[in-house]
Amino acid sequence: MMMRDDAEDDTAALRKEVRAWLEANWDGSLPPDQDRWNLSPATKAWLVKVFEAGWAVPTWPADWYGRGMTEQRADLIAEEFHQVGAPGARQDRSNFIVRTIYHHADPGLKRKMIPALLKREKGICLLYSEPSAGSDLAGIRTRADIGGTGYLINGQKVWTSGAAFADYALLLARTDWDATKHAGLTIFLFPMRQAGVEVKPLRQITDENHFNEVFLTNARVEATQILGGLNNGWRVLQAALAYERTALGDQSRAARHSAISDDLIGLAQQYGRLSDNALRQELAGVIALGKLHALNGARARELRDNNEPSPLVSLGKLAMSRVLHEEARIRTSIVGVETLLCGPDHPLADDANFLAFNAYFTSIGGGTDQIQRNIISERILGLPREPDPDRNIPFRQTRSG
Amino acid sequence: MKSTADERAAMRDVICNLLRSEASESHVRATMATRSGYDATLWKKLGTLGIIGMLIDPEHGGSGLGPIELELIMEETGSALLCSPLLSSGVLAASLLMSSKNRAVQQRLLPSIADGTKLATVAMTDDRGYWTEAGIGVHAHQVKDRLRLNGVASYVLYGEVSDVFLVVARTSDGLGLYEVTKDDSRFELAPLSMFDQTLRSARLRFADTPARLIEPIDWASVQKSLDVALIARAGEQVGGTRRIFDMTIAYCKTRFQFGRPIGSFQAMKHWAADLLIDVESSISAARYAADRMANQIDQSQEALYLAAFACSDAYTKVSAAAIQMHGGIGFTWEHPAHLYARRARAYAQLFGSPSYYREQYLRQLGA
Repeated sequence: MMMRDDAEDDTAALRKEVRAWLEANWDGSLPPDQDRWNLSPATKAWLVKVFEAGWAVPTWPADWYGRGMTEQRADLIAEEFHQVGAPGARQDRSNFIVRTIYHHADPGLKRKMIPALLKREKGICLLYSEPSAGSDLAGIRTRADIGGTGYLINGQKVWTSGAAFADYALLLARTDWDATKHAGLTIFLFPMRQAGVEVKPLRQITDENHFNEVFLTNARVEATQILGGLNNGWRVLQAALAYERTALGDQSRAARHSAISDDLIGLAQQYGRLSDNALRQELAGVIALGKLHALNGARARELRDNNEPSPLVSLGKLAMSRVLHEEARIRTSIVGVETLLCGPDHPLADDANFLAFNAYFTSIGGGTDQIQRNIISERILGLPREPDPDRNIPFRQTRSG
Repeated sequence: MKSTADERAAMRDVICNLLRSEASESHVRATMATRSGYDATLWKKLGTLGIIGMLIDPEHGGSGLGPIELELIMEETGSALLCSPLLSSGVLAASLLMSSKNRAVQQRLLPSIADGTKLATVAMTDDRGYWTEAGIGVHAHQVKDRLRLNGVASYVLYGEVSDVFLVVARTSDGLGLYEVTKDDSRFELAPLSMFDQTLRSARLRFADTPARLIEPIDWASVQKSLDVALIARAGEQVGGTRRIFDMTIAYCKTRFQFGRPIGSFQAMKHWAADLLIDVESSISAARYAADRMANQIDQSQEALYLAAFACSDAYTKVSAAAIQMHGGIGFTWEHPAHLYARRARAYAQLFGSPSYYREQYLRQLGA
């Protein structure tokens, strides 16, 4: 009983500390950023403050810019920041790239990279997928050949967000063509600002261009920039992808017109649809999906805090994709014929259309729903893999197209 | 009483072990074929362990547990498909009497309900099976100096084996809770033939049946007991959902076709992954609802309605998928998949349908 009271006091004290700090430092808002990758100077200045206060990565030890906290206490910090709309806290969960570097880079590389990335003095992007290696990511054909003190990189990458503002990339490249598919891969912390790196924006179905194609022609990277060891890239990548799934399971993108509420009931009311019993049934079902996803998340954190194993973490991304598609579907059904239209004169239609298409961001990005189902069924349920004809032959001999 | 996590784990172990040895599938099949529909010996043990009296105050011979423990215990009974009047006597009747203001009736009935020597059940809905105030089909009126009941109460769980019937009836100025005992012979009891053979219910027809007034009651109090029963139902649904899902996954690993386990086909794997989200979501929903009710936190009603349809839908969906995923063997009587599917279908209607609770949920959200 005593222990529990102590824990509660402790929780209250931490909340108080965070609130006091936010009160003293947070102005209530920041000027808007260009986008997620091109941050305003004010946002960057804020991130420096958060970093220096130790809120950026609270679960990491103090000599690694954190506060040595449990996940549970770190979540409280995230909650307090979220309450006031302040960004930058709890990047030890949300910033999956930095998390990957923290767990896999050697100490020198970590010192060099982590503070700059957390403060966003440097930008970073992902060079994983290729035109012929999407779901089958281990099939990448970008080559890293030994040259001078490092490697020469040649190939083409795709689905790279923030490439234009990135100083570095996590690059997945093939370092051994005689090894089997998964065994000849290496992850590099690759410098983006050099000749031999060409970035071309990719126009998405949402008519945005967050993603890019990146062409690599005799680009260079030093051997000291290898993350987690030569030819160990697949293992590092698995961890990186797991961190990414966690982050994607946590977040959903808000409507484009942020003034418009996420409130589906309000939307139905606005369109005079709340007396439609068929719609009411659907509405309850869709709202419930979102609520159940949140409850699963809460239970996952509880189990984690008690060190109990749980499949819930791995389900998050797939569940979130279902929530987003279903919400967009019912939103479309409520707005109805107006979804024929778009543009700022039709913000609700615009939102419905945008969210319906943007839901694919979650159901394809970071591993498609179909790949997630493979992962869940194999790693959680223990069902066997599909036969994989190219798994155990030298990569040189595999077919691609 | 609030239990600790350790105490709850121990409780789960005790009941889990008991049911594993005494409510195996073959035992369930034997019991469901009996007329009474429950095993009196096992019932007695459940009484001794304090499980029947879990919701009854210790002063009346019960264990005084709350919604969190109730949900947990019912996960185990639901997982085993336990054939017993636990839901009707230990949950619905017990909680209705626990909230009664009539001390004399409490003292007279609760101890024997708690130890299992008496079976009680609640009669509150007519043939339409609404489980709402509008669904009450029994009227009470005074004939000279005696109270008489008239009308129909249906879906009365374990009616045929019950000793005491708690009847919710309309009166000239509201509702009343009445006690009718088996020995008051002037009512007709017809056992209903159940699609879920692990469950029993009966239809009662009262014709000037003498009854004792326990107390005038308002619908809100009846609803409260029904809410507790919904927690119990959610627990049983979650337990059953998980059990049949686990069984199906195990089968997918051992059944070979085309020279490989059927669980290696993506058609099966992807289906299983999607179902796992429903399984886990229903666990979250049931436990959250129990927690809200136990702590009497805001939104407890919202949480309850969410669990009421989410757990029903998940159980129905997962147990139906289990039949299909098992293929031919799943279509046989000898395989237990249909037992779970029957229970799922029964529980999705008993105490209110998923669509009813979706509507209630939406209303709670202000729509």
